[in-house]
Formats: sequence, C-alpha cells, structure tokens
Amino acid sequence: MKMRRFAGFVITALAALALCACSGRGGARQEESGSEADTVLGSGRVTLRILSGSENQELEPVLEDFSKESGIQIEMTYQGSLDIMRTLEQEQIDYDAVWPASSLWLNVGDTQHRIKHTESVSISPVVFGIRQSLAEELGFVGREVSVRDILDAIESGKLRFCMTRATQSNSGASAYIGFLYALLGNPEMITMEDLENSRLQAEIQQLFSGVDRSSGSSDWLKDMFLEGGYDAMVNYECLIIQTNEELESRGEEPLYVIYPYDGLTLADSPLGYVDGGDDEKEEAFLSLQEYLLSDEVQNRIQRTGRRTGYTGISEENKDVFRTDWGVQPDRVLSTLRMPSAEVLFEALNLYQTDFKKPSLNIYCLDYSGSMAGEGNRQLVAAMEQLLIQENARKNFLQASNDEINVLIMFDDQVLAEYTAKGSGEELEALYTEVKEQETGSGTDMYVAASEALHVLDSYDLSAYTPAIILLTDGRSGGSFDVFMEQYEELGEDIPIFSIMFGDADSEQAEELASATNARVFDGRENLTEAFRKVKGYN
Amino acid sequence: MKAKLTGLAVLLLVILLAGAYSVLSKGTETTEITGYVGGEKIGLLEDEEVQKVIREKYGIEIDYSRAGSIEMVTEDHTGMDYLFPSSQTALELYEEQYGSPVKSEIVLNTPIVLYARAAVTDALLEEGIAWEENGSCYVDMEKLAACIEEGKAWADIGLSELYGNVTVATTDPTKSNSGNMFAGLLANTLYGGTVGEANVEEVLPRLQTIFRNLGYMESSSSDLFDQFLKTGIGAKPMVAGYENQLLEFSAENPDTWEQVKDDIRMMYPSPTVWSSHIFIALDEKGANAVEALLDEEVQRLAWERHGFRTGIGGSAADTGSFGVDGVAREVTRVMNMPGAAAMARIIEALQ
Repeated sequence: MKMRRFAGFVITALAALALCACSGRGGARQEESGSEADTVLGSGRVTLRILSGSENQELEPVLEDFSKESGIQIEMTYQGSLDIMRTLEQEQIDYDAVWPASSLWLNVGDTQHRIKHTESVSISPVVFGIRQSLAEELGFVGREVSVRDILDAIESGKLRFCMTRATQSNSGASAYIGFLYALLGNPEMITMEDLENSRLQAEIQQLFSGVDRSSGSSDWLKDMFLEGGYDAMVNYECLIIQTNEELESRGEEPLYVIYPYDGLTLADSPLGYVDGGDDEKEEAFLSLQEYLLSDEVQNRIQRTGRRTGYTGISEENKDVFRTDWGVQPDRVLSTLRMPSAEVLFEALNLYQTDFKKPSLNIYCLDYSGSMAGEGNRQLVAAMEQLLIQENARKNFLQASNDEINVLIMFDDQVLAEYTAKGSGEELEALYTEVKEQETGSGTDMYVAASEALHVLDSYDLSAYTPAIILLTDGRSGGSFDVFMEQYEELGEDIPIFSIMFGDADSEQAEELASATNARVFDGRENLTEAFRKVKGYN
Repeated sequence: MKAKLTGLAVLLLVILLAGAYSVLSKGTETTEITGYVGGEKIGLLEDEEVQKVIREKYGIEIDYSRAGSIEMVTEDHTGMDYLFPSSQTALELYEEQYGSPVKSEIVLNTPIVLYARAAVTDALLEEGIAWEENGSCYVDMEKLAACIEEGKAWADIGLSELYGNVTVATTDPTKSNSGNMFAGLLANTLYGGTVGEANVEEVLPRLQTIFRNLGYMESSSSDLFDQFLKTGIGAKPMVAGYENQLLEFSAENPDTWEQVKDDIRMMYPSPTVWSSHIFIALDEKGANAVEALLDEEVQRLAWERHGFRTGIGGSAADTGSFGVDGVAREVTRVMNMPGAAAMARIIEALQ
C-alpha cells in the first residue's frame, strides 16, 4: 500500500519535471522521454534498452560480443538498484529489460507485474575490502571476522571506508542492514521497535562518521576508490577482485577481502524482461539471456570474479579468486536475513534523514551573462526541485535535519552568499533568492569555487560529507592552476561536481572534476537523475 | 433522435463484432487469452509441445503475466480472461469477493515439499526430525516446528558453517501460494489438527513470530526455488516449495541436474497438504481453456515434463523417470488446509 502511494508521488513528480523540461526547452528539440543510455553496444535493427546496476559495466565486453553475433543492439543505462526499483514503480518504463544487483529490489519495485523471464546471471557477496597491511594490522587476516569487529575498528578510528549510499544502491543497503544487526546485538530479526531504539541512532551515526566517500552505485564507487587512495570499501567480491587486478597492475597494495560471518548478503544479479507486448523485443531478450546463461559465457563471466553456475567455482578459474587477497572461493556463503519490506524502508528513511553523516553542500550558481534566458530558467527550475522539500522528497533528495546547504551566486565575482541549516523554512526560503537574483556579466567559476573552499574551511569537516556543486554552462575565465593551489593547500578530499546547463561546454568542469575525484552531469537531459547521482556521492 | 440513432449504430456494431468473433473462434483462427499465473506453472505454459496441442486442437494461445496466487485474486485483475492460482483457498477468496466465476476447475496437483541441501537433510535425520521410508524422506512437522520455535541455531544441530537459526524459507504467505500453504500447514501443526475459524486465533501469535523472523520473503515460488538452487546452502539451507518444481527442473535441465543431484534433497512434510492448481475463467474466452488444459496429451506432458500429478489421488506412474531420488509413488499422509475464513485470518495476521 505504502509503495503504491509512493509510486503515485513519483509519477506526479515526473509529470511536473516533464512539464519543466518542456517549457525550459521551448519544445523545439524535444526527444523521447527517458534519459540517454550510458553505453551503446553494437548496432542492429532491434535494440534492447537495459536499465542495469553499474556493476554490470564490467560485462560490457561480453554484451558487445553478443551484439556482434546476433545483430541486436544493446543500450546500457546505469543506476543504483534502489533507483531501478523506483523506475519500475512508475507508470511507464522506458526500458526493455532490467538488471539490478539483487532480486529483492526487482520484486519490491514490480508492483504491476510487468517483469517476466527473470533469471539470475551470477552471484557475488557484499564484502569489505581492506588494504592488506591494514587488514593485517587490525588482526583480520586468517580468522573469522564479525561485523562487530569491523565496527570496533571504525569506532576506534583505525579504519575509514567508502560505501555506496544505502538509499540508492544494493551494496550500500546490504551493508547498512548488516551494521544494524550488529549494533542491535544480532537479534533474530530487525523490527520496527528496534529502529526506534535511541542508542542505535547515536551508535550508527558514530559508525558513519568513518565513511570517507560514497556513491550512488557500486561500479562508480570502485572507480572513485581507484582514483582516491582510500583504505577500504564495502563492495561486491567481484568488484574488489577487479579493483585488485587494477591495483596490482599499477604496482600498488591490493585489498584483502573480509566476509563478515554475521553480516553477509548476496547479490544475485537478476536479468528480467519488461513486458511491453513487443514479440520481437521479447525474442531478442530471450536470446540475450540464453547467451549469458550458456556454459561458455557463464565461464567467461566467472573469470570476471562473479560466481556462476550451480557447482561453485571451477578449478580452472580459481586463479581469479585469489586466496592471497583473502578471497575464499569455496566458502559457504551463509547470509543474514533481510527484514520485511516495511522495516527495510523505514530503516532506509532513517538512513536518509537521521543516520548518515550530514551533507555540507556548497552550490555555486552561475548568474553570468551567458546563462541569461534559457540557462537561467533551467537553473531556477532545478533549484526548485531541490530546495522545496515537498518536491525533493518525491525523489529521495530531501535534506536531513543536520544538513547544511550554502548557495554562492556568481558571475565573474561572488554576487551573494546564503546559508541554511536543516530541512525547514530556512532552506526553502533560499529559493526566493535563487529566483530573484539577476544575471550579470562575465563568468569565473574558480572565484566561486574558491569562496566555497573558504566557507568549508570554517567547518569541522570530519562531521560532514562535504561537496562543491557547480551549476553552470562552464564557459569560464579565471585560472584553474591558481585555484588548485588553494585546493591543495586546504588538503581536504572535497569533490567538485558540476551540473551543466544552458549552452554548455563541459571542458573546464571536467578538469575540476577529474582533479577532485568527482563527476560532471548534464542537468538538461534528466535533472532528477543528475541530482540523484550527485547526492549519491555526498 | 440523433442519440437514438447513435445507440442503434453502436448496438449493430457490437452484434457484428460478436458475430465475427464467434465465427473466428470456431474457425482455424486462434484466440489469444491472457491472465495471471503463479510462477511455478510458467514452464508448463511456455512448453512448445503443450502450446502446440492447445493451439492446434483448441485454437487457443495462452498468454500470461506472473503474479502470486493470493494477490492475483485479491488485487485488480480487470482485462484478464483467467486466473491460474495454485490452491482452493485462492478460489474461495475470489468467490467471497466476486461471486462465482464463469468456470473453475482443478487441472493439476502437486504436494508441498521441503527442499534442502544434503548436509541439512542429514542433520535433520540425525536429530530425528526427519526419517526415511520406502526410499522417500519425511519430516515430522511437529518436531520441525518445535525446533524453529525454540530458536535452535543451525550450529546446534551440527551445521556450524551456517549462520543463524533453523528456519524454512518460504514465499510471502500473503502473496504467494506455496508460502500461504506452508503457513496453513504450520497453523495446523501448531494446533494439532486442521484449524478452523473458531480456533485459529489460538495459534496466530506463534505463527506471527515464526513468519516475522523470516523477514523479507520472495513473492514467487519459482524465484525462491531458483535462489535455493543457485545461491547455495548458505543463503537458503531449506525452503518450502512444490514437488513439481524439482521434477520439472530435472526434466528440463538433465545435465545440470546430473551435476547437482547429490547435494539436493526433497523431503515430504508429514503430514503435507495438496496444492491444487485451479483454473478460474473470468470470461467465456477463458472458459474454453479449461478443456484444453484437461486434454489427455496436455495432462501427460504436465506430468512427464513438469512434474504435476494428474492421476486420481495424486498417484503417479513412473516416478523413476525423472532421475530424482525419493519421489513418493503416492502421497498419503495429507491433511486438509484450513478453510477460507481461517486462511483469511491467517493472511490478515501475517500482513
């Protein structure tokens, strides 16, 4: 019942967004609704549009081979598994197939029974990967480790880690549920009453203070991890294996895999068909599924570190599941029990509003001359979706109680600066300022970003997840090098994201993003998506 | 005047269409019908030979959407020609809400069984919770229920590699039939006989605790069985399902079955309950499919390739043909499910 009401919200929100998009774009170059695919593989008369967890990005070479053999084009769009669940709840699904990390989200999302032919493609447990020497130092090597042992290491400040956001991605949600069990003293099942336990809140907040960075989906977390020099991450066994292959090729220290015996979950990677009544698509889907489940391809998928088939990991693939990395190919993967949907979603709500480390977002809003008109309209519409909490809630973007949002408006200088704490009126009032600010002359986004660093410097950053988010068309004067000097001086790991608007040129924004381990998103294509992705990282 | 004419025109059109339809459906043209089906019967409906018989002899193509047996009758099913749940309970719930359907008939039967990995079955045998008889394995439901209620850990019965307490994973009893029937069976077990509306309240708190401790439950029997096979002993040590699921799997995937058969065990709860797969026709189009599904050829394929018992009393010839050990020739220790009113209370209590 709850879910259905939520689906209703989503639909209303989407309709509202669609309206924004129409009026914003002037309707002239309208394309089909739905966002662009992240990757297009092969070409052909029939196209399968697949909405997938980002962990399957690693299987693109397999998909590409299928496409070549069959003449069926594949379009991959990546989202976290919980975001996929929300897409499934909508009236219209703009995809032919879904491939989340776990069947739980597929089943909960498929309220209208539109998914069929679902088959698990591979299995991978959610594990901790900890830098080998640190794992040894913590005494985690060569023995069974409980979630409590890991929590103790985090609480004593010896271990910091990265995880995906529990409200967006399966690996983050799974780990979070494992943490809850451990903090509650491993009851048989987590109940609603357990979640109201006041000690739990304090303890889990302390635990999340050990989170360095997060992301909206697991493969993005892996990419970010590889850029950043962090100590540990929660991720799928297969992605830790791939991370290690990359680390080893660079001559760096690999991660040691820890399977917490009382907090293990499995991702079963279900691939399902979205029944839209098109026989040709259905046939194409079934041939893809048959290909992926064939012995030969299952073996190839196993070589990417995923567990496939019914009989465990074959002798010839044991070289991939390396025991010197702590990988246990023959381990009995005994899992915790996920709570009921009602308890699970209450736990996720609490994560969003009360438990996770509060965000400290500095939004730098471009009011330069080149943004006048079209670009400015898009920017204002975007901030309305974010600042007005009724809108934000519909997309799980609502602010938490301790969150801090700062707006810095700029052209070639800082025009104005506003701060709001929490999720109440103070935050919503900022929208009036956004609407009323007039556009000025030249552009210097470095001046704004520099002011943002200045603001961040006045906070205790260990208590927040900080991020700078530029909303801009990207055509900036000023100097990247001068700015980076200041950035290095501050010595904090602060990502600088950009959301592009107007007549965008993303080159400079990309430069900032890659120097600060962040990403650039297009706010004109699918705004909610862009915000959700940015929010996934902070 | 104008409105009257329009009305007349519409009427004429309807008559014409109805005429055309009846001519077509009697001719060689096939009629496509669509409805909700429990996941465990999809293999049968997707079977090309079954489809061929139904198409060529009866001129019907059966299309479907998958839904749990309970939710398909309780939730919106407008636009559907039929519902194909897996129990009498589902029909009774339908009748309470909507009255008699156009037609309904039991077309297939299969008992509720427990699936486990060999190590789990061995531990249950060792503990005296299960026993072997004429080559089949039976589980004492009272002892199993006691073991679950006491909160015994897997480690307590000698399975130290498994985390947590002894449990039977089921589908969501408020949505799907196999879970629903297992809940009915457990309610009977706790009560010590078939439980009725008058005494169901006595066992509800205990039943609620057992199911609450299961947490998240799958909504489809086929998903649960698939996970049992693929995720290994750790994730799903023991699950409740239908007998036909393993028989069908072995018939459809003989090579895979050969690889895994040594580690997979089927156990009959004692007593167990019959799952009667009942076809509920919501319109005339749907009603025609009943005859097709009862066709001798279809019924033969249903047993040989999909493991559904079709004979009277559920006795089956040729239990050895599947290469599955321990298939009972006859399933005799069976009890009735609680009636619809008692089941409605159980579903409500487990919501």
